[in-house]
Amino acid sequence: MPKRYNIVVAGVGGQGLLTLGRVLGNAAIEAGIDVSIAETHGLSQRGGSLIVQIRLGEGESPMIPRGAADLLIGLEALETARQIIYANKETRIVMNKFIWPPPLEIYPDLDQIIEKIKGRKLRLYVIDANKISEEIVGSIISANMAILGYSYAVDPGLQERLEYKHLVKGLERVFRGKVLELNKKVLATAYDLGRKQVEK
Amino acid sequence: MGNEAIARGALEAGICFASAYPGTPSTEIVESLASVAKEAGIYVEWSTNEKVAFEAAYAAAISYVRSLVAMKHVGVNVAADILMSSGYAGTNAGFIIVSADDPGQHSSQNEQDNRWYGMLSHIPVVEPSSPRDAYKLVKEAYRLSEKYKQPIIFRSTTRISHTRQPVLLEEDVPAEKKCRGKFERTIERWVLVPAHGRKQKRRMMNVWKQIREEEGHPPFITVFNPGRRKVIIADGIAYAHVAEALELMGKTNEYTVVKVNLPVPLPYKPIVETLQDAKHVLIVEELDPVVEMQVKQVMYENGLAPDLHGKDFVPENGELDLDTVYRSIALFEGREPVAPWEPMKPLDLTPKIPPRPPVMCPGCPHRNTFYIVKVAANKARSKNPIFTGDIGCYTLGYQKPFYTQMTSFEMGGSIGVAHGLSKVVDEPVIAVIGDSTFYHAGIPGSINIIYNKGKSIVLVLDNFYTAMTGHQPHPGTGKTAMGEETYRVPIEKILETIGFETYVINPMNVKESINKVAEAFEKYKEGKPVAIVSRMKCALQAIRDARHKGIKLPVYTILQDKCTGCMVCVNLLGCPAIIVPKGAKKPVILSELCAGCGLCAQVCPFNAIVLKEKGSPNWIEAWF
Repeated sequence: MPKRYNIVVAGVGGQGLLTLGRVLGNAAIEAGIDVSIAETHGLSQRGGSLIVQIRLGEGESPMIPRGAADLLIGLEALETARQIIYANKETRIVMNKFIWPPPLEIYPDLDQIIEKIKGRKLRLYVIDANKISEEIVGSIISANMAILGYSYAVDPGLQERLEYKHLVKGLERVFRGKVLELNKKVLATAYDLGRKQVEK
Repeated sequence: MGNEAIARGALEAGICFASAYPGTPSTEIVESLASVAKEAGIYVEWSTNEKVAFEAAYAAAISYVRSLVAMKHVGVNVAADILMSSGYAGTNAGFIIVSADDPGQHSSQNEQDNRWYGMLSHIPVVEPSSPRDAYKLVKEAYRLSEKYKQPIIFRSTTRISHTRQPVLLEEDVPAEKKCRGKFERTIERWVLVPAHGRKQKRRMMNVWKQIREEEGHPPFITVFNPGRRKVIIADGIAYAHVAEALELMGKTNEYTVVKVNLPVPLPYKPIVETLQDAKHVLIVEELDPVVEMQVKQVMYENGLAPDLHGKDFVPENGELDLDTVYRSIALFEGREPVAPWEPMKPLDLTPKIPPRPPVMCPGCPHRNTFYIVKVAANKARSKNPIFTGDIGCYTLGYQKPFYTQMTSFEMGGSIGVAHGLSKVVDEPVIAVIGDSTFYHAGIPGSINIIYNKGKSIVLVLDNFYTAMTGHQPHPGTGKTAMGEETYRVPIEKILETIGFETYVINPMNVKESINKVAEAFEKYKEGKPVAIVSRMKCALQAIRDARHKGIKLPVYTILQDKCTGCMVCVNLLGCPAIIVPKGAKKPVILSELCAGCGLCAQVCPFNAIVLKEKGSPNWIEAWF
């Protein structure tokens, strides 16, 4: 199997998935590797289920086959569970400790989701990205950068292809001024947390 | 992004005029052109609809100014009238119609394959296989357009338009552009009376024939590994999937692959040459068998009879992806279509993961309006109103708890359908339409109601922007695409002029608005033509404006001791910021999501919803 490194980012429209994709994409450009990012826009972005598909390495087909994700980043628990079909036994799954049920629906709870994913013997990492963002920025707006920093720290596949400085450069291509500084801080804080998790 | 690549390619090709009506997945083409318009010295506009946009851009091109018009696939239906005529009359400068199709219906009412429009109008269709391809092919399309003096349809699809990829730029944007044209009075081209039309048709058919004969070469048709017994012909993005699938199977060298980037009209020479050596042929294309049909024609004309497959192995519905194409090729090879990756089975959770369709955002003014209109209808004893709907965020009103969109077909359709219904049913009929949609296609329908003594209410939801596609300005915003201040065209003035008794409400003031709308329903019952305009800014834009201006919006909370758990706020509003935590009997507000609209506080029968954090003194300015 030729190695295009496949990253699925799942979450709810409005959580900053497209921005996360753009930062990773710019990081790949900084690192001099080819990348494609498939996004969904319009109606599907209004608080609906959303996935962004990022493929590192040469090739033109922008979509990741089910079961072919190397890394699954979930910004919300129900959406992480929904997109588990993109994972295989080797996939690393990084999930935000945040459940945001759709209005007027009954839903499984966070603990059950964690338990079931672990039951499949998958490599699951849970991080409270909303909290990191809130502590640094004052709102959950940068939870996307928190989960990116953490994912990078725990995923050797990503580290093999990108250096941390490329991620920072990627950020610099998307944000400016004060927002950039805050997001850098969020990224670094979550990265450190991830490093500690790996060393444990 | 593919759309940005198309825009950049067009700039390099020297366009000086671009127009569009926003629609997913086409929006960013003209959006990115608008953002650099002044710097690049070009003219860019958001037109009121696709037909108008087409007419404007085409007019530039017949006057020797290169131009582009962009729309989503269903937008081409709106512009179809002028599209057909432009095929006859042709053009003087390069003219590209970008049709951004949406296989898989990510954000559309259907997945029509617009390559047929090329067949129908005798306008060639150029179709890229990736965003990189799009960048190069747009420039080639302009060359083709000028070589034959014919418009070109440039067909993109969601996975090209909305895929990001690094694109290496080949050229600068030309400093010298032709922006001033000249109109030549070549009456027999531009005045399509029958005698002229007949003559133009001969010109058009000649162009068609020439392209079929002479353009069978890269970048339009590329043949890889010629001479193999097994052949795959792959059009547009299907080529990208085919290339990777063959690589995954380790079969790249076994196949001759014909990459098609000019599917209409399909140049036949490379097809004939390839099929002469072939025994087994598979045609992989997204949606309809447009290439397959033409290949079969070529086979018949040239007495070729290889074993040919297409839509029997490749789905005709939905978008293609690597999975589907891998399976199609495996079936073609007569193998088990098992992919080399094993997908994880879904998790067995109880209860199951609920579906998450898109919803109206926290603070969305349409939520207030829908609530107000339903309560007011009750108050006025207008039983079982029928709500016809239209295209925009507010289409989401079809869901619980509102059910305020019972139809949704096309732009402006709410009003025409309401009129027809009102002639044949007894219930009150309310046409719900957004501001941008009203300007786009709602005005003729509104005139029709008055003229033909219709009985339906027109309800315009004015949130200042074309919100669903990303807040493009329109005639009610007071700004142009290039950011200049301009005239505002108030919707209520239009409706009044047409002849409606028009009520304007501020949906933030719930009680006052209910009274006004109930009054409107009473007038309606008396047989008066009534229209309502509900005006409040899109919540996403209000939040953005508040952030930029340093305005703090209020945040609400639910007092757990006062809350009785009656769930009125949850069940009547469906606001995503109000949730009932697992096992809890009372709802809570997620303060990080609350936009401070205060609807829940006005609805709560027990005054249990109160301000948690006050907004800045001028917070209301962010909303209007």
